Amino acid sequence: MKLFRRDLHSLSGAYALDALAHGAESERFARHLNRCSSCSSEVREFREVATAMAFAAATEPPPELRDRVLAAATLTRQLPPEVTSHARPRRARGRARARVPWLPWLSGVVATAAVVVAVLFGYAQAHTEQELNQARAQNQAIAAVLSAPQVKLLSQATTKGGVATVVLAADRHQMVVTTNGLPALPTGKVYQLWLIGTTRTVSAGLLPAATSGRTGPVLASGVVKGDTLGLTVEPAPGTAHPTTTSILVLPLPV
Amino acid sequence: MNPSDSDASRFRSVPTDRRGERDLDDLLVHVARGDQVAFETLYDRLAGPVYGVIRRVLKDPSQSEEVAQEVLLEVWRTAARFDPALGGAATWVMTIAHRRAIDRVRSTIAAAEREHKMAQIDTPHDEVAEAVEASLDAERVQRCLGGLTEIQREAITLAYYGGHSYRQVAELLNVTLGAVKTRIRDGLIRMRDCLGVS
Repeated sequence: MKLFRRDLHSLSGAYALDALAHGAESERFARHLNRCSSCSSEVREFREVATAMAFAAATEPPPELRDRVLAAATLTRQLPPEVTSHARPRRARGRARARVPWLPWLSGVVATAAVVVAVLFGYAQAHTEQELNQARAQNQAIAAVLSAPQVKLLSQATTKGGVATVVLAADRHQMVVTTNGLPALPTGKVYQLWLIGTTRTVSAGLLPAATSGRTGPVLASGVVKGDTLGLTVEPAPGTAHPTTTSILVLPLPV
Repeated sequence: MNPSDSDASRFRSVPTDRRGERDLDDLLVHVARGDQVAFETLYDRLAGPVYGVIRRVLKDPSQSEEVAQEVLLEVWRTAARFDPALGGAATWVMTIAHRRAIDRVRSTIAAAEREHKMAQIDTPHDEVAEAVEASLDAERVQRCLGGLTEIQREAITLAYYGGHSYRQVAELLNVTLGAVKTRIRDGLIRMRDCLGVS
């Protein structure tokens, strides 16, 4: 038994370098770590050595990675500080509506996409099976835009405050638009996006209702060279042509 | 960054002796609250080592970029789960990065081996070595690696940069499993002391 323990202990280095086999072996060592404080502090120190080795290998990533990561972050919901368990806090009882359990879907939805887009806003707001399916399809399309080989991240303040952020996949002629901090609208009014071209102006969709000041991603297709993104306030449920002055004029480099 | 911020000041008390590390801890706390500016700064500080270590393991540039993107987004998504009591922010992020690279290697072992060979032709090692030599971190690490026995150094670099399991390392170096475990651990202890990790 003693030999076995010592044997296990000597795995600390391999464990810290992720060199144990996945599954039983590394799980057994992880369990051992919980009981062995000298092992866990040793692993912690070894991980710092590994961190120094990672810094020593630092390599400038391709510049488009930055845009893509930052754009994806604007669309990715963050996890709350504590690990959520199945038990719900008692005070939540009043609001019985369960949050949509999104994590299990995530892997399926974006398994092939390069981006892990953790819950796009649609999920939390969807309440029927049909809405959920729509949200899933929409998220797949959005994930596809985000994982396009060439994306541009554009961001611009509107004349009424708030910022619109656009992830543009020029080769797909698609873009994803989110906003943050736009002024709230009175009932019966909506924000509508427009693609303003030299020969036509078409609706690019309505912004969904904001959650903590942010609006979820809107996917727009058919972006062509020379298009400018516009944003107007229109009577619900939107209009065929803009009827007010655009509060955003953002040229789209396609 | 904000002195009136009680959460942030909680993390101030964390002792850190590696340069810049404490700033990173603070940054990560802000990232956890959805601060996109903090995330941009964090990206600028950590994307190089994240991409670099993944690239070392995977070799293939486009796969490396893909995994780096997943890792950096995971940092954004799970920033609130970072526990400074378990180590600094840089270590947290690099642990995720290395683990993801390993996951990728092991999940697509056949494909990886194929690309491995191709990438080795595409990317002369000198290029990597040059980039490595440019930084201070690299100099320190190289010096400390230089202080190891040859077998310790090879075992550690094959495991960490090569992404090999210690069983594979044993095969590659033609030594027993027990010897590899011990060499890696002894080598890391020497590295720890040489790098001044407390």
